[in-house]
Amino acid sequence: MSEKMAISFTVNGNRETREVEVGHTLLKFIRDELHLTGTKSGCEIGECGACTVMLDGKPVNSCLVLAVEIDGKELLTIEGLTENGELDRIQKAFIDHAAFQCGYCTPGMIMSARALLERTANPTDEDINQALSGNLCRCGAYQEIREAVKAASKK
Amino acid sequence: MLNYSYVKCKDLTQAYDLLEKEEQVYPLAGGTDLIVGMRGGKFAAKIIVDIKDLPELKILEENDQGIVIGAAVTLNEIATFKPIIDHALVLAEGAHTVGSYPIRNRATLAGNICNASPAADTAAPLMVLNAQVKITGSHGKRTVSINEFFVGPGQNVLKKGELVESVLIPRPYPNGTGVYLKASRTGSVDLATVGVAVQSWDNKVQVAVGAVAATPVRAISVEKAVNENGEKDLARAASLARDDISPITDLRGSREYRYHMAEVLIRRGIEKVMEV
Amino acid sequence: MAELKTVGTSVQRKDAIEKVTGSAQFIEDRYMGPMLHAKMKKSTVAHGKIKNINIEKAKAHPGVKAVLTGKDYPNKIGLYLIDRDFLAIEKVRFWGEPVAVVAAVTEKAAAEAVELIEVEYDELPGVFDPRESMKDDAPIIHEDLGSYEIVPIFYPKPGTNIANHFKLRKGDVEKGFAEADVVIEKEYYVPQMQHVPIETHKAAVQWGLDGKLTVWSTAQSPNVVRQLLAKSFDIPMHKIRVISSYIGGGFGCKAGASVEGLVIPLAKMFPGYIVRIVFNREEDMQGTFTRQALFSKLKTGVRKDGRITALEYEMIWDGGAYTEYGVNIVRAAGYSSTGAYDIPNVKTDSYCVYTNNSIGGPVRGFGMCEMQWGIERQIEEIAKQLDIDPLEVRMINGMKKGSTTAAGQVVQDVDYHKCLKTVADQIGWGKKEGKFRGKGIAGLVKCPAQPSNAASSAIIRINEDGTAHVMIGATEMGQGMLTVISQIASEALNIPIDKIDIKVPDTDFTPYEWQSVGSRITYTCGTSVKRAAEDALGQIYRIAADLLETPQADLTFDGKMVYSTKDPEIKATIREIADSCKKCTGEGIAGPIIGRGSFVPTNMTNLDPETGQGNPGLFYCFGATGAEVEVDPETGVVTVLQLAAAIDAGQAVNPQLCKSQLHGGTIMGLSTALYEEVKFDKGVMLNRNFTDYKISTIDNTPHIESFIIETPETNGPYGARGIGEQPMIAVAPAVANAVCDALDIEFNTFPLTPEKVWKAIQDKK
Ligand SMILES: Cc1cc2nc3c(=O)[nH]c(=O)nc-3n(C[C@H](O)[C@H](O)[C@H](O)COP(=O)(O)OP(=O)(O)OC[C@H]3O[C@@H](n4cnc5c(N)ncnc54)[C@H](O)[C@@H]3O)c2cc1C
Ligand code: FES
Ligand code: FES
Repeated sequence: MSEKMAISFTVNGNRETREVEVGHTLLKFIRDELHLTGTKSGCEIGECGACTVMLDGKPVNSCLVLAVEIDGKELLTIEGLTENGELDRIQKAFIDHAAFQCGYCTPGMIMSARALLERTANPTDEDINQALSGNLCRCGAYQEIREAVKAASKK
Repeated sequence: MLNYSYVKCKDLTQAYDLLEKEEQVYPLAGGTDLIVGMRGGKFAAKIIVDIKDLPELKILEENDQGIVIGAAVTLNEIATFKPIIDHALVLAEGAHTVGSYPIRNRATLAGNICNASPAADTAAPLMVLNAQVKITGSHGKRTVSINEFFVGPGQNVLKKGELVESVLIPRPYPNGTGVYLKASRTGSVDLATVGVAVQSWDNKVQVAVGAVAATPVRAISVEKAVNENGEKDLARAASLARDDISPITDLRGSREYRYHMAEVLIRRGIEKVMEV
Repeated sequence: MAELKTVGTSVQRKDAIEKVTGSAQFIEDRYMGPMLHAKMKKSTVAHGKIKNINIEKAKAHPGVKAVLTGKDYPNKIGLYLIDRDFLAIEKVRFWGEPVAVVAAVTEKAAAEAVELIEVEYDELPGVFDPRESMKDDAPIIHEDLGSYEIVPIFYPKPGTNIANHFKLRKGDVEKGFAEADVVIEKEYYVPQMQHVPIETHKAAVQWGLDGKLTVWSTAQSPNVVRQLLAKSFDIPMHKIRVISSYIGGGFGCKAGASVEGLVIPLAKMFPGYIVRIVFNREEDMQGTFTRQALFSKLKTGVRKDGRITALEYEMIWDGGAYTEYGVNIVRAAGYSSTGAYDIPNVKTDSYCVYTNNSIGGPVRGFGMCEMQWGIERQIEEIAKQLDIDPLEVRMINGMKKGSTTAAGQVVQDVDYHKCLKTVADQIGWGKKEGKFRGKGIAGLVKCPAQPSNAASSAIIRINEDGTAHVMIGATEMGQGMLTVISQIASEALNIPIDKIDIKVPDTDFTPYEWQSVGSRITYTCGTSVKRAAEDALGQIYRIAADLLETPQADLTFDGKMVYSTKDPEIKATIREIADSCKKCTGEGIAGPIIGRGSFVPTNMTNLDPETGQGNPGLFYCFGATGAEVEVDPETGVVTVLQLAAAIDAGQAVNPQLCKSQLHGGTIMGLSTALYEEVKFDKGVMLNRNFTDYKISTIDNTPHIESFIIETPETNGPYGARGIGEQPMIAVAPAVANAVCDALDIEFNTFPLTPEKVWKAIQDKK
């Protein structure tokens, strides 16, 4: 059975209408249908955070959202952060502080950081730890990530 | 990819009608248990009934009765709702320990209790607050005390065609403080090895424990010792919890360690709420 | 040495923009054309004869294109000991071993078809503890061990489960014990762990209509993949092209060949299609390499003054069901078995033993974490028994310039003592901060574990405008290779780094690299790049001399211009030199500039089969970790209050990236110290996802004070040596030493989970 449904949503500022398989997660939809491959898959059970995107302004694990659920909603993925080729402040800070190694967790990490800075302008280390604890980085860039998020908040 | 049909509900009636008529039908709130469970083969859903955007379930308010938490309210909303922080801190703390920030943006309180994991982090807090679960369905509404809500691991009192509509933290609120203490393997995003909620009510305490029995349980023996028998040695009082719990050994901890941690956290919790 | 310009500076990572914008392409991010999806059927028993596999229903399932079983794969595969089938034939040796593979038009159809495959097993008794597996009456796991092809530096014992017995005899161990005042003997255990890179293993394969095989893979080492596939499938190397995109973390699990071969026969059946396999997290955890568990026994003899006179080390490694790669870990641990210490008399026996657990294999540290755990814990015991400061024991016995390793190799360019002292000072060694608080230090050493002929090569193309392309076969999995190698090229060429382009490898275009493992790339690939740059530079000078009609000796190159030191007006731009290469008469001078460089070690030797003596190390990297902890005696929770790490990088090519590695390795080490352990029940991996296999998160990672020590490596490029794995090695023992200090309890195994610590406290009471 592969039931399809039509949904309308905004992705990175653009309105879209699509037919989606009801059996697909948002993660799969973003990667395979929208071809926005910056969002990564690392566990598909909500534990790693590699798939983090923002839905109506809030960070969510896209592997635990069904694609059909975004009907009428606003989606922001890592690809939506750059404007006209210009990196946003968090991306710049991640570069300055070498806050990544393999880069696989990075899009999810940056999305969680973005959501944090939207709700807390000047986060403490503790705020950063809390906000990013759902994003695993096996390369262990945590120390640099903390520094980068702090630095970005000051810009 | 999973096999099911998806229905976005327009109102509650449609939701419980579907639940009543169809087989293998599941309400979808945050999906943080449901989707994981479907992928892992724990739930064989044929129909998914999405209730998360129903306005009547999104209510989070304080009224004459107390604090009403609609079934679609997320744990992050709960953990930051002022009346909850003021009157039911133990619940805010419990909700805050669930998963990670993005998980709590989706996860609901109703989902947490309906999933009925013995380790559900909001269950013990709700128990010590004497919360009431408002159930609705094609046969009408009913209210069940949280203390009667859980039946076994993954099982609750809901009958076919019923939904949790909201959870009420009833007035009068406790006039003492509450605390939720969670032991886990990492102290970070992790399931509870033992979770303990302690709430002071006047000069009495209520204690509930998660992950130590088939359901979250009240530590009645401890409460009795402290409240009725005036036990001043809190370690001794806490040790009576052994009569109330029957933990198992699993990947998160041994039976032995769970017994021990329940005692330690209960004692610490009582010390904490009594100091204030 | 002339002053360095680029080497030693923290230039921006070459992959920075791609990685922060999500545009960096990993294997699964490529759209490649019409695709088939492959999915494995896995064994449900840990050890058993395959009685029957029924694939008919699966084949008939809509969307399914093919179903293959073991007999469809002609040969075995393996890096050092060729013992592994792509799909089990006749018998399965671990739970979850692939027995069949399906290709279908959708992932869903493939997954459904897998469920329709019926396999009947005759279950055989399994063996899950390598110590049991060594016994005479243990069930034999590989009946044909004696006939397997093997690199002749390993010593399997056919008819047993021993896949390799590495022997080392240095000095006279009996004499050493006789000289000792105290003899200490202890047993240690290190459980299996998993790499869990956030990107799982993936491969996509296309059999071209022209018979050319293209493999896109998460492989750390595309050249080795090509070599192993060429052999297993009888394909000449020029007909195989292996491309490694960016890799989402490797840590050893993506070394050698892993998933690629599984889908090749499928691709061959459907020329033109891309056949892709993507491991999910569970498959990744259970079906790829785990770190081998180690049961060890250490006996040390020490004089009253703290000098260690003798060491006897027995290591029994759980090689798992296949040890094609694991045999070399056992060897490396054997020849390094004195850790960072100079011990005159050593007897080591290191056994790689088959069991019916998941496959053992390389993990960051390559045996050193496991082996040095025992050493660094036993030093604490020595200190306790002699009542000497454990730091002092390390200082007394620590290797210095001219010391010999267990294998008898003389080490140069060492300042281990500085590493120890640095971390000791940082954590305030010697000051007790309170009850239930403790401090610990541990040291480390590691050389790359590689064959003595493991080679590297590089090509540098100078473009017409004087910019350059560096072509190498190393992979970028986060370690910063692209950046560091570009820096070396930039330094040697004297061309600014932003004029240098570098890409991840593609075996059709990039030159040979053995493997991106063993913390060797900065040194080996770096050396070949330096040589390639020098070659290109030589050509620049030769052309310039001709062009300017000036002796080469009078010329100098400043990155933009070549000019005469005698008359600065005699000059040519790099553009002029690289482009037309013509004199004003129109006569050509030379064609485009292509620099080439290659490297193979000349300081390594084979080891004596009886004594293990020889030169196994290309270079030795030392370091140390210091930790301060506080333990909650009631709950057993260990809180790390301070963490200090020092590594001797020789020359940090890029200090910021060097620190990244230092932090990353320390965090991984801390994660293993406190949380990580793969749990098995009779071969069934129980915690095969992140819900129950827990790793460090940002909120339980303390701040790390990190120090780069720079004792130049004489033969390393600009004095550099590799440091990628090393920072992990000393963390678990340092933390454990601190916990032992806090509680005055011995821990001979880790992770130090709250429950384990609590239990130890109970046992002491
Ligand atoms: C990474 C991760 C970490 C987690 N960590 C924790 C943790 O630390 N502590 C913890 O307690 N839990 C944890 N969980 C589990 C989960 O997040 C919580 O149980 C959550 O509160 C479930 O809410 P939900 O809205 O997502 O429920 P859903 O998944 O939508 O539903 C859960 C179940 O309840 C049913 N249901 C939902 N709403 C209703 C309703 N109104 N009436 C009747 N039935 C209903 C569903 O059909 C389903 O069977 C974790 C989950 C993940 C993925
Ligand atoms: S893939 Fe969604 S959290 Fe891991
Ligand atoms: S940078 Fe590799 S996982 Fe975070």
